[in-house]
Amino acid sequence: MTNLLRIESFKLLKKIRAWLGPILIFLLIMISFPLTVELASEELKNIFYSILWLSSLLTVMVSLDSIFFEDFDDGTLEHYFILNNSLFSMILIKIFIYWLLIGIPISILGTFFSISTSGEFSSFYIAFPSMLISSYIFINLFALGNSLSLNKGSALGALITMPLLFPVLILLGKIVLNANFGFEISNLLLLMLGVLLIIIVIIPFIISFVIKTHLE
Amino acid sequence: MLNNPILEAKNLSFSINQNNLFHGLSFELLSGEALHIKGGNGSGKTTLLKILLGITSPRKGHIKWVDDTNTVYLGHKNVLKDYLSVEDNLYLHGIDLANTSTKSILKELNLLDKIDILVGNLSYGQKKKLALVRVLVNQSKVIVLDEPCVGLDDRTRAYIVDFLNSELSKNKSVIYTSHIPIEINSKKINIDKE
Repeated sequence: MTNLLRIESFKLLKKIRAWLGPILIFLLIMISFPLTVELASEELKNIFYSILWLSSLLTVMVSLDSIFFEDFDDGTLEHYFILNNSLFSMILIKIFIYWLLIGIPISILGTFFSISTSGEFSSFYIAFPSMLISSYIFINLFALGNSLSLNKGSALGALITMPLLFPVLILLGKIVLNANFGFEISNLLLLMLGVLLIIIVIIPFIISFVIKTHLE
Repeated sequence: MLNNPILEAKNLSFSINQNNLFHGLSFELLSGEALHIKGGNGSGKTTLLKILLGITSPRKGHIKWVDDTNTVYLGHKNVLKDYLSVEDNLYLHGIDLANTSTKSILKELNLLDKIDILVGNLSYGQKKKLALVRVLVNQSKVIVLDEPCVGLDDRTRAYIVDFLNSELSKNKSVIYTSHIPIEINSKKINIDKE
């Protein structure tokens, strides 16, 4: 596992455009968005979280464009399967590394923008945990879509994945709504965390099965 | 030296879209033995290798490996990252450049002075040589090669043949496909349709 962590992080870190590019896209969306509306307006605060979730979704989608294709194309997946007779651990680690290098930075940036937009530090408690958890869920689901459309273009994978993301987006909307009315949001965050814990285990299993089929 | 069986394949059959690639194929591989899988283009040599490695399942038949058999495989794909240097690619495969035997292999293959070059900038033959380094430094009991000599110069081909002969003398086994003759003492199976 440690060796896999070392290898996968090394590969992604060396491919700077694969992780820095999406973070910059996220940053640009978050900077350019307030320019399109009047800075002091109430509308900005009202629609901020929608933009935040959708930017995070878009960033993850762009960043996962070739999460498996490159390893599939150069024989790495085949090689790993021969050595270990399973792809599960490699996929689990790969998804984790993507979250570490893309999911966490955009969560931090998103939280920063959330605080600066609302002018209240309390929005940290809404934005940070929501983004941390949702980005991990997004990465898992887009990885699944990419594995299904391996060799057929990433757009198809994104289309397959989108409907699976709707419940998460609804949950994120509920969190903001509850927070705006001053209700408790921890129960919704725990629900999302529960979804994530199930996804973390199940999705890599499904992906490993799908990729094995592609290798055949 | 006693040669133990390490692989037993019985009655293997494989077909794609009702096109029989091979049918009822049975063979055995002993330690210290080489197996040359022969056949024309599209006859199913690579598929047979993939079946032996467990990547693809046969339609019929079964394969039995001795429990502790570990294999190293070099197929048509080189398992190299174009955006990384030669040194970084070796690192990904856990190959230590500080090791003197690794250095001598790289020197023999004319790659030692290219360790800082991006793999994407290497020629086809140089990439193939670099991919072979993974096989040459490996300590696996079975070496599986799919067309290992394609794109290699005569000198490197001779080096590979010497290496394989030396591994066979250490009681390791080799399974390979090759249209280019490789001068090693090997058992042959032909999977071309009669």
